[in-house]
Amino acid sequence: MIYLDYAATAPLEPEVLEAMHEAEKRFFANASALHTPGHLAMNQIEETRELLASIINAAPQEIIFTSGASEANNTVIRTFEGHEIETSPLEHHSILETTKKYAGDKRPKLYSYMLANNETGDILDLPHEKGAFLHSDLTQALGKIPIDVHKLDLDYATFSAHKIGGPIGVGALYVKEGAPFEPLIIGGNQEKKRRGGTYNTVGIIGFKAALSKINPKVYDTKVRELRDSLAHRILKEIPGSSLNTNLERGKSLPNILNASFRAAEGESIQLYLDAEGIIVSTGSACAAGDIKPSHVLMAKTGDAEVAHSSIRFSFGPDNTMKDVEKVMAVLPGIIERLQKISTIEV
Amino acid sequence: MNEGEDWIYTETVKDHFLHPRNFLMGDESKFDYDAVGQVGNPVCGDQMRMYIKVKDGKISDIAWKTYGCASAIASTSALSELAKGKTLDAALEISAKDIDDYLGNLPKHKFHCSILGHDALKEAVKNYRKALK
Repeated sequence: MIYLDYAATAPLEPEVLEAMHEAEKRFFANASALHTPGHLAMNQIEETRELLASIINAAPQEIIFTSGASEANNTVIRTFEGHEIETSPLEHHSILETTKKYAGDKRPKLYSYMLANNETGDILDLPHEKGAFLHSDLTQALGKIPIDVHKLDLDYATFSAHKIGGPIGVGALYVKEGAPFEPLIIGGNQEKKRRGGTYNTVGIIGFKAALSKINPKVYDTKVRELRDSLAHRILKEIPGSSLNTNLERGKSLPNILNASFRAAEGESIQLYLDAEGIIVSTGSACAAGDIKPSHVLMAKTGDAEVAHSSIRFSFGPDNTMKDVEKVMAVLPGIIERLQKISTIEV
Repeated sequence: MNEGEDWIYTETVKDHFLHPRNFLMGDESKFDYDAVGQVGNPVCGDQMRMYIKVKDGKISDIAWKTYGCASAIASTSALSELAKGKTLDAALEISAKDIDDYLGNLPKHKFHCSILGHDALKEAVKNYRKALK
């Protein structure tokens, strides 16, 4: 299998698996308990907190562990319930739908702009306004490019473990010291009363193992080379192809390539590739079980056909140039065939 | 992880998707037809065009083109097999359920994709009859 869907979920790193197996045995105790096993579990959680804080240039007490990025995103938006909230049109639904439901007209205003988009990999300019607060969903950016919450001038930031080779069900929220905060889950002293619920020690230990392995340099060099090579070959070898990702350094994450293939429908491309053992995703409506195609590609291109015909290839550190070659050994034929049976002219 | 043993669709759907029957590759002038019907549009993500050749009141040959998803491809492939050789009226009676049964069940949220071919066939028959008048 050639796995090119890292932006959806990265496979667990072997070190993560090992750390979590070990943790199941050694750190099973409730981390809030005052006995020794509880204390040992809490140490592991605090070490993870310190590690994440050091990676993003924050203070450990500014990190809150959550069940994932959606919870972290919801927490920030709910903190600003009734307030003016502005988001980019490219945000994840956990931002867009909560904003729609809870935004109001009170001040101060919250801006929520992701640093890098999950579908196209595009890097966005963040809005900075005096007197307003700024949240950024860094789920896709973590591990792929260097992150400094101070340089980015953020008040809040969202992170997720399963996009960097950690487990699903673990995330984190950065809340700048002194920034407004309302807990989403109430009824526990955990996380300094900022997030109720028994600590997910094993998951957080898995997150730590994944964080210890992140290396944006590998993405900037090896992974970027794979992504760019596939992009150039697609444009050169496949008629009717176009890119929805800006390949220029600094304009997109180095691991994501979104391309459209005129007259070929995305879900069909995805499943023909799947039948060849190549795993990708698509912005086509059909794939999402929806009638609308990707809101991100619609916002970016305004062209439903481009969105329906799109495929996202997202690379990880384990991919090789052989994977790119294998994709290009079958993709042109798949596209040609779909274009030939298509009702749309190429 | 899906290791390829259990695809999201049944083996029959997979077979019709990977090896669609009666589809028209390339230029439609390659196919000798009496009427054509088209439904859907690319904005909605699916478009289907059905071509029929009619002899003695029966569909003697059939072909189709689509800009559509795997379910649309598989179900139209199935429909084309079911419709070939049938009288126009009998072909119109083929139901979405017949196709679903033939393929061994499409995922429920994909049901709407499977009626595209159906609607295109109806259009083709309508256009054929209109031309006769």
